[in-house]
Amino acid sequence: MFKNEEMEINLGPQHPSTHGVLRVKLRLDGETITHCRPVIGYLHRGVEKICENQTFFQGQVWTDRMDYCSAVANNLGWAEANEKLFGITVPRRAQYIRTMLNEFNRLASHLIWLATHALDIGAMTVFLYAFREREDILDMNEAFCGSRLTTTAFRIGGLREDLPPGFEKMVTKFLAKFPACIEEYENLLSENRIWKKRTIGVAKLSAEDAIAMGVTGPVLRAAGVPYDIRKAFPYAAYAEMDFEIPTRTEADTYARYLVRMAEMRQSARIIQQCMDGMPEGPVMAKLPKILKAEVNEVYHATEAPKGEIGYYLVGEKGSGNPYRFHVRAPGFINLQSLPKMAEGGLIADIVAAIGTLDIVLGEIDR
Amino acid sequence: MNKILRTLIPFDIAKGLAITGKHFSKVFFTANRRKVPLHIVSEYPEVVAKVQPRYRGRLTLLKDEQGEIKCVCCLACEKICPTQVITIEKGKKEGRKMPFPVRYDFEMERCIFCEFCVESCGFDSIILNHQFELAAYNREDFSLGMEGAGQNMFEPSPVGKFSVAED
Repeated sequence: MFKNEEMEINLGPQHPSTHGVLRVKLRLDGETITHCRPVIGYLHRGVEKICENQTFFQGQVWTDRMDYCSAVANNLGWAEANEKLFGITVPRRAQYIRTMLNEFNRLASHLIWLATHALDIGAMTVFLYAFREREDILDMNEAFCGSRLTTTAFRIGGLREDLPPGFEKMVTKFLAKFPACIEEYENLLSENRIWKKRTIGVAKLSAEDAIAMGVTGPVLRAAGVPYDIRKAFPYAAYAEMDFEIPTRTEADTYARYLVRMAEMRQSARIIQQCMDGMPEGPVMAKLPKILKAEVNEVYHATEAPKGEIGYYLVGEKGSGNPYRFHVRAPGFINLQSLPKMAEGGLIADIVAAIGTLDIVLGEIDR
Repeated sequence: MNKILRTLIPFDIAKGLAITGKHFSKVFFTANRRKVPLHIVSEYPEVVAKVQPRYRGRLTLLKDEQGEIKCVCCLACEKICPTQVITIEKGKKEGRKMPFPVRYDFEMERCIFCEFCVESCGFDSIILNHQFELAAYNREDFSLGMEGAGQNMFEPSPVGKFSVAED
């Protein structure tokens, strides 16, 4: 009687496992998804237009509020795009501090991904342990720039202030205990039979599909493509750092989990190198009082925790505001692979697919 | 054979339980004996929450040693504010060369605590204090000015019972 009938349901926008206000229209045949379309725009604030009406200096606070889990990485992209537009050279010490804070931010973002992704699939304990370590990183954010989440950490041309006293002690303390913490998460998850059943072979996205859709970040690297902007087009102080790009070839949710765990280890390595090789010197370049642009356009891409975040800025002659501002948000582009991952799978697995993409709706809707 | 054994005997679950059990026993048996407790949850309303020295709290106007307001109405903070929450009215005062702010209005509900105003101030006349408990029941309580008990720009807001307001 019901054999050929398909059912349409909505997942979200107020569903805890959609990580914000994402609505997914699903058409189901029994428990199998036959059609999946994400609907976005519930958190749209018009960040690009707002930034066009504000000065280059003021625009930074809006980048904090796009991807609020990785505000420092967004700040870095914004600051470097502006420096490219105005032709400013940043002092070397500022580059090192930027690199270090960016890697701390990657850890924080990956920890929140691990926590929420595991919680969605049913592992409650990891959630609490991951947030415990994230707290230390947020404390370091607070010590450096005064705020925990919306950091506004960098300035165009460098940093506002040098590292606070006692910061190195905090970093050393964190690095001493962090490898053991990653091992703890892996002991809890890697061999857990429920975790493995929920992730292995789920939400596959082959390398061809990922490249065709412009997917970047750990999702692409888990498909076997070693593309990382930190290595491909080095920015900040990444050219002087020694690290590896972890890749897997399975291209499923479990592979993405392993890639992100390996990335956390590499991040800790980069932080250690930054601390060891921290040069002395000023942290702010000499800037004119008011930044006035020429007719010029730049696109600057950096590797945010979620993928390639690119800032496109067009300057107008004699104007203090950008003429056009556009963000290539990693979450927005990665989300379009959701139908490919979910269609043909079970409805229970779409939660894993959303979690493994590591989306933040503040960035997707902007 | 190995696979069947692994399926029958839940080693993986035992491994996970060992970790949680280790943490539980570590915290449970040292709960009241250690000077620095192992548990990381802070007992916030009862114990005062400490913030870092650079913490960005509420905007505060400063006075100098003679009790004069340091602000000279250069309007730098008003111009740089990304959300336009500061409104300053210029005025004159007897026996003072520099301009004097007659009104200094601060709409806290729109403030994003970015500290750009403090950074732009060339006279060190404003700071962000260390107050983070800024909730209020009425909308009027978020409009701060130079006058009014508990709502002026010179003292910390009265709602913060627990936070370290000033150091």
